Amino acid sequence: MTSLSRREFIKTSIAATTAATAGFTVSQAALAQASAAEAGWKWDKGVCRFCGVGCGEQVATFDGKIVAIKGDPDAPVNRGLNCIKGYFNGRILYGEDRLTRPLMRMKGGKFDKDGDFVPVTWDQALDEIAAQFKRIYKAKGPSAVAMLTSGQSLVSEGYITNKLIKAGFRSNNIDPNARLCMASAVVAFYQCFGVDEPANCYDDFELADTTVLWSNNMAEAHPILWSRVTDHRLADKNSRIINVTTYRNMCSDISDLEIIYKPNTELAILNYIAREMVKRNAVNMDFVNKHCIFATGPVDIGFGMRPTDKFAFPAEKDTLAKQLNYTIDKYEAIAQRRPDMAGKSIEQKDAGRADAHWHITFDEYKRGIEPYTLDFVAELAKGDPSESLDAFKKKLQQLADYYIADKSKKIMSLWCMGVNQHVRGVWVNQQIYALHLLLGKHGTPGNGAFSLTGQPTACGTAREVGTFCHRLPSDMLVANPAHREKTEKIWKLPPKTLNPRVGTALMMALRGLEDGSVNFVWTQTVNLWQSVPNTNHWLKAARNKENFVVVADAYPTLSGKVADVILPAAMIFEKWGMFGNAERRMQCWRQLVNAPGQARPDAWMMLEFAKRFTLKEVWGELPLPGLKVEGFPDDKLPSVLEEAKKMGYNENMTLYEALFATPENKKFKWPDPIAKGTENSIVNLLGDGWFVEKALFEEYRPFTFGGHDLAPFDMYYDDKVRGLRWPIIDGKETKWRFSEGNDPFVKAGEGYNFHGKLLKAIPSGDLDGVKDTTPKPLPGKAKIFFRPYAGYPEKLDKNYDLQLCTGRILEHWHTGSMTRRVPELHRTAPTATLDMNPADAQARGLKHQDLAWVETRRGKIKMIVNTRGRNKMPPGTIWAAFFDEGVQVNQLTLDAADPLSLEPDYKKAAAKVYKA
Amino acid sequence: MSAIDRRQFLIRTAQMAGVAACVAAVWSPLVRGQAHAAAHALRPPGALPEEDFMALCLKCGQCVKACPFKTLKLATVADHAPTGTPYFIARETPCEMCVDVPCVPVCPSGALDRSLTDITKARMGLPVIDREICLSFRGLRCEVCYRVCPVRGKAITLNIVHNEDTNRHARFEPVINSEHCTGCGICEKACPTEESSIRVLRHQFVQGKLGEHYSPSLGEDFKIQDIRQGTDIAKELNPGDKRQAAPGVGYFNQPGGREGIIPGAKP
Amino acid sequence: MTEKQEGMVSPQKNTAVRHFQMPDTLAGKLRVWRFLIARRIVQVGVLILFIGTLQWGWTLFNRLVLTGNMSSSRLLDIIPLSDPFAVLQLIASLHWPHTDALIGAAIVLVFYLLVGGRVFCAWTCPVNMVADLAGWVREKLGIRSLFIVPSKTRYWALLLTLLLSFILGVAAFEWVSPIAIMHRELIYGIGLGFIAVLGIFIFDLLIMARGWCGHLCPLGAFWSIVGRTAQIRVAFDDASCTRCGDCVKECPEPSVLSFKEAAQHGMVRSGECTNCGKCIVVCPENSLSFNLRACIRTCSSSQSAHGSTS
Repeated sequence: MTSLSRREFIKTSIAATTAATAGFTVSQAALAQASAAEAGWKWDKGVCRFCGVGCGEQVATFDGKIVAIKGDPDAPVNRGLNCIKGYFNGRILYGEDRLTRPLMRMKGGKFDKDGDFVPVTWDQALDEIAAQFKRIYKAKGPSAVAMLTSGQSLVSEGYITNKLIKAGFRSNNIDPNARLCMASAVVAFYQCFGVDEPANCYDDFELADTTVLWSNNMAEAHPILWSRVTDHRLADKNSRIINVTTYRNMCSDISDLEIIYKPNTELAILNYIAREMVKRNAVNMDFVNKHCIFATGPVDIGFGMRPTDKFAFPAEKDTLAKQLNYTIDKYEAIAQRRPDMAGKSIEQKDAGRADAHWHITFDEYKRGIEPYTLDFVAELAKGDPSESLDAFKKKLQQLADYYIADKSKKIMSLWCMGVNQHVRGVWVNQQIYALHLLLGKHGTPGNGAFSLTGQPTACGTAREVGTFCHRLPSDMLVANPAHREKTEKIWKLPPKTLNPRVGTALMMALRGLEDGSVNFVWTQTVNLWQSVPNTNHWLKAARNKENFVVVADAYPTLSGKVADVILPAAMIFEKWGMFGNAERRMQCWRQLVNAPGQARPDAWMMLEFAKRFTLKEVWGELPLPGLKVEGFPDDKLPSVLEEAKKMGYNENMTLYEALFATPENKKFKWPDPIAKGTENSIVNLLGDGWFVEKALFEEYRPFTFGGHDLAPFDMYYDDKVRGLRWPIIDGKETKWRFSEGNDPFVKAGEGYNFHGKLLKAIPSGDLDGVKDTTPKPLPGKAKIFFRPYAGYPEKLDKNYDLQLCTGRILEHWHTGSMTRRVPELHRTAPTATLDMNPADAQARGLKHQDLAWVETRRGKIKMIVNTRGRNKMPPGTIWAAFFDEGVQVNQLTLDAADPLSLEPDYKKAAAKVYKA
Repeated sequence: MSAIDRRQFLIRTAQMAGVAACVAAVWSPLVRGQAHAAAHALRPPGALPEEDFMALCLKCGQCVKACPFKTLKLATVADHAPTGTPYFIARETPCEMCVDVPCVPVCPSGALDRSLTDITKARMGLPVIDREICLSFRGLRCEVCYRVCPVRGKAITLNIVHNEDTNRHARFEPVINSEHCTGCGICEKACPTEESSIRVLRHQFVQGKLGEHYSPSLGEDFKIQDIRQGTDIAKELNPGDKRQAAPGVGYFNQPGGREGIIPGAKP
Repeated sequence: MTEKQEGMVSPQKNTAVRHFQMPDTLAGKLRVWRFLIARRIVQVGVLILFIGTLQWGWTLFNRLVLTGNMSSSRLLDIIPLSDPFAVLQLIASLHWPHTDALIGAAIVLVFYLLVGGRVFCAWTCPVNMVADLAGWVREKLGIRSLFIVPSKTRYWALLLTLLLSFILGVAAFEWVSPIAIMHRELIYGIGLGFIAVLGIFIFDLLIMARGWCGHLCPLGAFWSIVGRTAQIRVAFDDASCTRCGDCVKECPEPSVLSFKEAAQHGMVRSGECTNCGKCIVVCPENSLSFNLRACIRTCSSSQSAHGSTS
């Protein structure tokens, strides 16, 4: 490295290493330079920080910095490739404005809600947070505090935060941004299969004959997977790709069939396909009889909005009113078998029991899908006004044909946010499963309905560790006494420590800040005030006098602006970490570099926070107004201190000692041979010599036994291992679930066993309701749901005449807080534009590149009109990405949500556009 | 006029001519050097062929003022373009391809051709891709150039091929099609590699030319092969269509046939 | 030197000769500077209009005030204006410009035909300010010219410009014109082109007095030819003139001030006169003034008839 400048050195090395992995030839001189340059580098395995695909990476460090990144040639997902975000994965650590000091609003040397941000020490910050937490906690109890985390939080971080708030603070108010992303998929998994996990895996992309994308722009949202799907289309000339979407996107480029439908009407299209299956005798009756039952649930369940307009903006009130009473149109009336109700207002009486469901007969199911004829569905669902009805009908028929094709043809249905972020997202998930179950094509190689995930560890952390307000680790539920008992046992808690009441979901927590039911919020690895819909409310609410908001992040974000304390967080390779991707693959990495300045891992913040609480402060009697649960006193959580003393706890012990640095955990000593000389800043900062990540992983592992079995910590760190797909039984990973020969939990001779344990006994009835309330068990069976077509609360009208859909682009990750800090990525897409049909633009006196106001009932923002955008919008629909801090699209979106999953619908808001 | 006067006059005239010649000798290369300096500079849309453009351009900058994106600049002596002429640097500020092409009609001299009213007809240059550096050619999912292209799917298409190196992924190789590319340079600006792997140059530096004696019989219209080529989804898998496997089957199976021909059958 | 002598060769008068004295009062001084101030206002004003329109989008009646630069521009978004000499070069290079440029050139040409061709030089051209500054410094430092070429040289330059345009196929002067460069760079941003402006300053200061504007500039030559039909002229009242010669001393184009000719026609007739007004303000007898050619002719014809008898 004598004559070579550092810059050149890094440059040539990246070039040479990437070239070598991709099989390119580079000149000998460049290679020689590169190897000379690489002399001091240390390569180690890593995982891409971004989407749910979970690409493996190799990361080179030198002199305490990440100097190069390459796709890991041994990673089965990506085999040495990356998308453009992954290519810059190492650079996101080095943005110019990394946060390096805790910042607190101060006036006169003291915390003041109205003060300006001032750098403070970690102790100052954490002490103040603890004081504020205690103030609120004492006054209002555990329901007034909330932790909002992320589908990007590490497994260890999720576990620590979850345990601290649920076992320590006895609150279930923890919810990840996976609520905004995967919650609908989760509820559908629970209701259909009794277990939250995909039955299929990525190997299926190479095995399927037909791949159907349901409102899923995989080409941009799952770049590397799309390259696999595409390659299979190339390799197998007889394979087909079908893109069912509300607008033409990049997937259409190679799709054999593109179906543009009107938002929300996939509910009708899916029922049409089911009806065709029945009509054409294509239902696999043998499979259905043996392994499935039919079910349905209530229809008038509202739209997950507040039942009151007390906090609404004046313009919002009419939309909000639909939570209570909703007028159905003629299509909904027909689809819901009440044609005489068309145009009538219907009370949403089942809003409180949206998740109820019950057995129905196959005949009832058939009665349910009967209205979904081709004529009816085509007229309702056609999404491109310029397309002829006949052409659209033909396409729908072809779609049905592909599903119904003979048994030897393998079919995969893929979806992600287009289905999940939907006022009836759970229903759509269930309808897709229904198609595959009716065909008996699920969970086998090349066959299945596969729910893709959006975030790198939505599956691994948020769902598996259970950082949701209703969950405990590994598919257990807080509302289930047996699950609480099991958890209390593993966590060595006195009985009744765990709060039996489901906490506030993410949207509810933010609404809580507005209505005063929640006063303390701490966010981790998430930029909620940009990413949650209808942000104008929450931006204001965060600043309410009585509220205290803590934002832990690596970079300045909009959320930080409304916070009271900002904590500088360590990022990806600055800590030991583990992610779980969409195909149940858990992957890990070591801490490769140190965080800059005083930036520290979220897990350390939690542990340090835990040190500030003694057991007597949190395990005594706590107010919990409204609590009415069997075995618990009304309106409060009982004191468990006496029991705790019996178990050997001391009431002056800190939560850190009681929950984390337990004698068992302290047996995992640092340093550990698997570290191979790498650092562990959490261990260094704590200074008490135990290997936090390993100890807590091994504590967590027993939760997973019996279905989600994880391998020992060290196995993931083995040099040869590139992640493992759980359950790992006898050291072997599992690719497909529920089918014999694939799933180790299915016994020989069973063929299939839907062995999920949740919601496995339900009442019976018909399409209109429960007739027999006695729970009828359905062991080993999956549920085929009938779900009708239903509308959405904010339909277009003369004033708001455009459907606003939002989403992601390939170049940026979420709110852009990381990717926009990489200049090269920033230049690829510097600003979010408004994709619009040229005819719509022209009708409003707008042309490409004009500045326009986009206005909904909730706010208005200026955007640049883009009629040449990457997405070709049909007339009537507009599209915008949410990555751009300068263009707050979520000030426009509606916070209506699926009432079952409470996942908001980002894809449908009525908007108007006019010249700015 | 006396003989001496005439002689004086002739000498004087010759002297003046000599001076003029000397001045011209310095002046001409200066002009030529200026007018032909840095011929890679990209011109506004509608610019005439360079020779004519250079001759007609009055260097008034009205096109610069008309450009709403501050793309166009007037070259100063230090810039990589002939002094005073309008040009743009794609990597810094590309042409945004305004629908109404505001820069062209303001040109007083006609150096920008006013017959250009459809911006997609502009031909400012043609990009070349460094296939050795381009990430998409390496199999990475980049294709930023393709997605930002205002004439996407025409000017830049994706050649989708199997990636032998991974044997599991497809490569999405961007390909430039001169027939549709306007040379706006948005791709060059957006390219995420440290130095852009796609660069817009003037056509003369990019385009080859076949000998006039040769008339190509194959591959005249170079087109990306669509991986869907040959797919007729209407024909496959459709049970309704299966019945039409032989001539006449469709006709005979039509319920009722032509109206009223078969008594009792539904039309 | 010859120019001045030529001016001096005039019949002596018997009246006592008074010379110009700079007034002591500010009002008096301002009176003396009135044309200078007006010219600077026009020169800078035009520049500011261009800059304001470009940089800050100045509008009048919702239209952009003045876009472009002196080579070609557009007034109020509609009226084209072009430098006729530049357009002439285009034509000489065998390129036929768009009608806008031709109309623009015609408008400008007609304007200067009326007000005096070289009014451009004194009232609009930004280089004039550089030349005047060089002249002023030169006076203060007492620098003498290294050499001098005939002021007619500019006509050769003009001829050469057109010839080179024809041969090279491009507008020859436009590519090197320090006037265009200076103006363009003042409006669109200063670059290395300003070296040319500096060159003129140094040339005028150290090498040849009024070298560029007074002797070499082909654009000046072009406007001189155009200026022959100017309707605004400096009128000369022979009766009050004492032949003190102050006007000639002050004149940037001394050859235009021939008492004999001025006396004969009652005005300065030469196209090379820039109508700068310097002579008018220094004349102690107020013998000089701006007037319309038509008006002067009627007066002077009677005068000359009268004069010829004496």
